[in-house]
Amino acid sequence: MTWKLVVFVSAIAVINVAVVIEFVRRRKLGENFALLWIGVGLLGIVLSVARPLIDNVANDIGVRYGPTLIFTGAILFLLFVCMNLSMHISRLTERSEILAEEITFLRNRLDREPRV
Amino acid sequence: MLVIIPALNEAETVGRVIADVIAALRADVVVVDDGSTDATARVARAAGAQVLSHPFNLGVGGAIRTGMRYASRQGYSRVVQIDADGQHLPSEAARLLAQLDDQQADLVIGSRFAEGYARTSAGYEVSTLRRLSMRLLSRLVSRRSKTHISDTTSGFRAFGPAAIEVLAPIYPSAYLSDTVETLLIAGDRGLRVVEISVAMRERLGGTPSSGHFRSLFHLTRVILVVLLHRVRRPVMQRGVQ
Repeated sequence: MTWKLVVFVSAIAVINVAVVIEFVRRRKLGENFALLWIGVGLLGIVLSVARPLIDNVANDIGVRYGPTLIFTGAILFLLFVCMNLSMHISRLTERSEILAEEITFLRNRLDREPRV
Repeated sequence: MLVIIPALNEAETVGRVIADVIAALRADVVVVDDGSTDATARVARAAGAQVLSHPFNLGVGGAIRTGMRYASRQGYSRVVQIDADGQHLPSEAARLLAQLDDQQADLVIGSRFAEGYARTSAGYEVSTLRRLSMRLLSRLVSRRSKTHISDTTSGFRAFGPAAIEVLAPIYPSAYLSDTVETLLIAGDRGLRVVEISVAMRERLGGTPSSGHFRSLFHLTRVILVVLLHRVRRPVMQRGVQ
């Protein structure tokens, strides 16, 4: 039963890494984010084979079912990723506004120049 | 001949650097002000340089990209990249330029290392981690571009007309990519790359701009870029040339 799980999770993680690399290759995914998602894939592979270790840690903390830790970790990580993306969007929005303002003033300057 | 000086809050030193450059090289100077919050742009203009001010910080790669596009649009046939903090000596810049003619080179790199990695230029301090990562990058890039380059992240470079024409439309602007990936592109397009050892000076003032985490992150990223380089789709041309 356990080895099936390991194979399954590893397969998903490998596919994940392959997909990310393909998107980077096609220049559809920025290199920065590629590292993040490849990290996720590698973590998935590591966790799937480290089941005994996870069970130990779970016992120490008082969690009955090992994989619960994995799920919790995954959820927290995804929350972190969402937060990170929100911050990226905030920064991009601010920069877009700055660019819009620059264009506004440049346009005005062009309009004020006499046309030859 | 154009000298490109990328600058982020270097008001303390950029005036002197510009004056030294104009005196020693008799070149046109363009300072790319990468979102400085101090008087960098004003000082640079007063010292006789053209100033291109980014509306916000894009990074040194973005600044060089802007400078290269400017060089291309203005029709310059030679470009030298020099730091605003005074570490790059104009006399050494003259040596880089000489290589463009003497060696028929398209791209000349000023290396901070000499004799393999036995010595570093006086004034260039490098930690063990940095030295190791630079050695790794050197090995990866040298193998792919068939020329041995020991200092793949050097920002002290000279470009000839062929290099400007190839690089200006597609210059990679990410931190570390702007130097490392440029070498790979040069290799792809058959540009002749020559590396010489140069002496550096201590920073004249101001503070260096990158932290450890950022460097490590971008090092990993650029290793991925180097490994994938050959199979990647070509990057789109940027803007109007």
